Amino acid sequence: MNRYFLYLVLLNMLINVIIFVPKILIEYRYDGAVMGVLIAIPIGIALNYLFSTTLTKFPQQGLPEIISLLKHHWFGVVHLVGIQLVWFTAGLITLISFIDILTRFINPEMPKLLLLTIFLAALFLIIQMPTDRVMYLLEIILFLNTPLIAFIIFKAFSNEYLSWDSMLEVGTHIWAWPSLKAIAAATYCFSGYTNLIIFNRVIKGKLKLWNFFIITVLGVFNLFTTFFIPIGFHGSDGAQELLYPWITTADSLRLVYSPIERVIFLFLMFYMSISLMSISIHWHVALELLKGTFRGKVNMKKNWIVLSFFGVFSVIGVIYLNALLLNKITVYWLIGRLGFELLVVCIFFFWARRRAA
Amino acid sequence: MPSNKVQIIKESLRNKILPSEDVVYKELHTKEKYIEILYIKTVSDGMVIKDNLIIPFFEIANPDQFLDYLQSLPTIKMFEKEDGALDELIRGDAILFYQDHIFLLDSKVDRNNSVLDTTVETTIQGPQSGFSESLPTNIGLIRQRYPQNTLEVESTTVGTISKTKVMIIHDRKVADIQTLHKIKQFLSSIDIEMFQTGEQLLDIIKKSNRALIPVMLVTERPDRVVVNIAAGKIILLVSGSPFAVVLPTVMKDFMSSMEDIYQTYWVAKFLLVLRYIGFMTSLVLPGLYVAVTSYNPELFRVQLALNIAGSRTSVPYPSFIEVLLMLFMMEMLTEASIRLPKAIGPTATTVGGLILGQAATEAGLVSNIMIIITSSVAISNFVVPINAFSFTLRIMKYFVLVLGTIFGLVGVVFGFLLLVAYMVKLDSFGQPFLTLIQSKPSKKL
Amino acid sequence: MNFLNKWKYLMIVVMSVLLLTSCGFKDIDKRYFVVSIGVDLDKTNSKRYLVSLKFAVSNASKETPTEFQIISEKANSMSEAVRMIKTKVDKEIDFSHAKAIVLSEELVREKGNAGIYYWFARRRDIQKISWVAIGRPSALKVLKVKPKSERIPSNALFLSLGKDGSESPYVMSEFLFDMKYRLIERGIDPVLPIIDAKKGFFEINKVGLFNKSHMILTLPPEETKILNFLRRREEKSSNKITRGKTTIVIDTHKVNTKYKIVTPKGKAPFIKVNVSVEGNLEETTKRVPKEKLSDFERAAEKSISKEVKNILVKIQKANLDPIGFGLRYRSRHFNNDDWEQWKQIYPTIAFKVQTKVQIEDTGLIE
Repeated sequence: MNRYFLYLVLLNMLINVIIFVPKILIEYRYDGAVMGVLIAIPIGIALNYLFSTTLTKFPQQGLPEIISLLKHHWFGVVHLVGIQLVWFTAGLITLISFIDILTRFINPEMPKLLLLTIFLAALFLIIQMPTDRVMYLLEIILFLNTPLIAFIIFKAFSNEYLSWDSMLEVGTHIWAWPSLKAIAAATYCFSGYTNLIIFNRVIKGKLKLWNFFIITVLGVFNLFTTFFIPIGFHGSDGAQELLYPWITTADSLRLVYSPIERVIFLFLMFYMSISLMSISIHWHVALELLKGTFRGKVNMKKNWIVLSFFGVFSVIGVIYLNALLLNKITVYWLIGRLGFELLVVCIFFFWARRRAA
Repeated sequence: MPSNKVQIIKESLRNKILPSEDVVYKELHTKEKYIEILYIKTVSDGMVIKDNLIIPFFEIANPDQFLDYLQSLPTIKMFEKEDGALDELIRGDAILFYQDHIFLLDSKVDRNNSVLDTTVETTIQGPQSGFSESLPTNIGLIRQRYPQNTLEVESTTVGTISKTKVMIIHDRKVADIQTLHKIKQFLSSIDIEMFQTGEQLLDIIKKSNRALIPVMLVTERPDRVVVNIAAGKIILLVSGSPFAVVLPTVMKDFMSSMEDIYQTYWVAKFLLVLRYIGFMTSLVLPGLYVAVTSYNPELFRVQLALNIAGSRTSVPYPSFIEVLLMLFMMEMLTEASIRLPKAIGPTATTVGGLILGQAATEAGLVSNIMIIITSSVAISNFVVPINAFSFTLRIMKYFVLVLGTIFGLVGVVFGFLLLVAYMVKLDSFGQPFLTLIQSKPSKKL
Repeated sequence: MNFLNKWKYLMIVVMSVLLLTSCGFKDIDKRYFVVSIGVDLDKTNSKRYLVSLKFAVSNASKETPTEFQIISEKANSMSEAVRMIKTKVDKEIDFSHAKAIVLSEELVREKGNAGIYYWFARRRDIQKISWVAIGRPSALKVLKVKPKSERIPSNALFLSLGKDGSESPYVMSEFLFDMKYRLIERGIDPVLPIIDAKKGFFEINKVGLFNKSHMILTLPPEETKILNFLRRREEKSSNKITRGKTTIVIDTHKVNTKYKIVTPKGKAPFIKVNVSVEGNLEETTKRVPKEKLSDFERAAEKSISKEVKNILVKIQKANLDPIGFGLRYRSRHFNNDDWEQWKQIYPTIAFKVQTKVQIEDTGLIE
């Protein structure tokens, strides 16, 4: 069942378009983004490898189950509380920024809170499902959407207006000193593996080497696409003016023979499900970890308290955060996330080794 | 058994069974012996009683010999309990009081044992006959098609009043024991007065008795049942119903027709894809129409958008009313054609569909495009081969329509996703209802 | 009790949703679709714009072609004009199908109109794949043209600018996103097609070349064709070649152009342009024997080389760069001041054009 692992990684690669990764990379295109991306690739793969091989020592167990093996409960509780916050905010940023995209491009006259209600309805349904069901749903949605997104990417690559010269021009700034922000943004594409912390429950068997090989290939291609395609369409100087480079790029594509001529709508429709899934995965992890923190039986009341917290925070987020502010916050969140990820992977790695010894 | 006890039982049985017109109490006498028979003539087969009892009674003179004869009859049972005997009597057994013995003679009349033609799940090729309404005949049909010694048949009763006999059939070799256990538990937990047919289980399975999506397949085709037994599924046969229930059932089963086996590979695959496209069309199209015409007309190309705008100019109300109006018309038409006698059915459809549609556009009540959408929704709805599921689909599209009306394009996509998520969440006796790659049932014993 | 509570909650949710709604719901027949936008300068005051929107008036009948209505408004800015036009129509103005943007020649010749170009790019409802063109004698006149073949307003314009309808080497269509790209990218400049409004039809065979702010140069049809070759956007064309007294016409079906910026150390840099043309013989004034075909090929090579070189020099003199030599230079040099270097190099750079013509077929007649 190793394909589940690939799905988790692939989902993050697809969602980076929503969570400002291309925007950040393009902003630093002359100031170290190229090198940053190149550095991010080995970091991402290494983290992937370390974390997933460590977790295979605990077959079909999520973090709450693993922690319950520990003697010191307080350690587990402390550990868990920090992690949930990261996962919850990861979902929250995607949620707020995608709602912003939807109000901008699809329903300009609709209040954001109304859009939020339907998102929350879907999210609450999905995140309460058992972990294996969430995975099945992810599989179905990826199956429906990925071929079409791949088609759009293919259309982008084969478009005659794609300027390879502009892309190469950015490529010539490879020797600029790498920027930390760019590295943090680029590693986000690889960080889907962290969801294994819960989704290890459904992973059967060991991860084979070809998994990491596929991740490497996909990751390199994905980073190249995210970063360079908007530049190819909107120029090495012009792409940075765009708030959502990829959405505008999708609007620059035209399907001559399709009944839907403007690609942007297809793109947004596919991304609705992809982003819903991404938020669900993150929040499902957060919810399951919280359940692990409570210990003992989780009754409906506690469950709803947690869910209403999720709801309240997203309402607050949607009301107070506009796209520009969110963009600024996301930059620092991505850096924080990278540090946190490194920390978690290292702690986990050494702890598991000591335990195995 | 002492004779006074027999006398007491006889009296109490005769008291308990109230004097109805069809209750028969007879005494037969010859020189050497006499016998008393109690039966209900409307549920008992008089021929059986005549052949097995009355004729031998007069032919065999010796009383002991006749006793031996009775004991050796395969359809005869010894009396065990008064309640049980009463039950059997109501179902059509005859109770015999002979000397100091009480026997139960199985003389149940087996009506409706003729095999019916398939009417619901028709195929062009392949077997054309379905089940009958008689339980033994149906089991016979299955045994005939599935000659395996591992086939197990168990029986239980459901319904506090109807006391309907339900047969649980499965192949011990391939069926999952856990699932079987769950099904038995479920059957014993059912609290219902009248149980007539397997379809009733569709609602009972939900705690609230309000199910939207069926999680068990009701079929009239013996060939489908046999294929499912071989795949490890468990079958319920209900006495008096020509339908079998297949458990556990997943989405894939609802989308497959028996014809898939009787066609060549690519034809079968094509038909399968066609069904899924039909499913999607029927589900999403009405909602999409509202969302696109009222929220995002930029989705179309300009030529198409102006066409639709043109055909809508004379329509005096918003798009969702238009859609609802036409969909209701269509539902009425579908319902009406089920109720109508077969001879008038096509007429109603023609009048309703063609003439009404034409007139509605001419009068400017609905747009031309709307007629196309309504009819394609109606047609694609019935591409789904299993009736129970295609009825569900009829409801589900309103959910998408409502969300599409409130939220526009986002609503349509989310409506679809919510339904998919809901189906993924469902499970049928431990099996997830919807997964992309259906795992085979575990074959552990 | 529990069951009742559930319904109560559900009702509250439904009610609140219904209260929140009624935003954004607007039927397609309550929208007034703008199919093309024209921007002119106000004749009386050059600081003011004359913005014209061409609306499609949809009617139910399939027999008559769709009508249109043009509403114009003078204002200091685009948004003001649109706001004023809103007061003149009964339905909601919908820009989502505005697939053609026509700017008048006077407007594009004037400096300081970047705000207009950005207005189009900034609005979410204007397609980034709408075509931008220059209108002659004015944008309004172009919008007013009504070709006979057209059933949907401005459809003729869409078809001739897009590649779905007629394909011609003289049309150099430009999308809004690409125009914006060229306006800002250092090393490549915008090119817009010029539409001449005639009575009942359009004539699109010229282009206007921009620098970063306004139009500087217009190219006649033949030069437009050559520029199209250089940009590798269109391959079907016909070229007239004269050798002696004989004139032949080559119908090209494959044109390939490659260029390379060569900067040899110590020597003057130059741009090597290789053009290869494959085509059929379509028309001759005299009979051309098969053996002589290669002579005509040589002659064609010569004449095409000359034409290419002339136009390259002409563009260079105007200090424009529609092909993107500057961008090519930037993309091949790793230093950060490559753009400053290029600005020094470009005015004096030499062009070396090499053409290879191959006549593959002489049609059905030898």
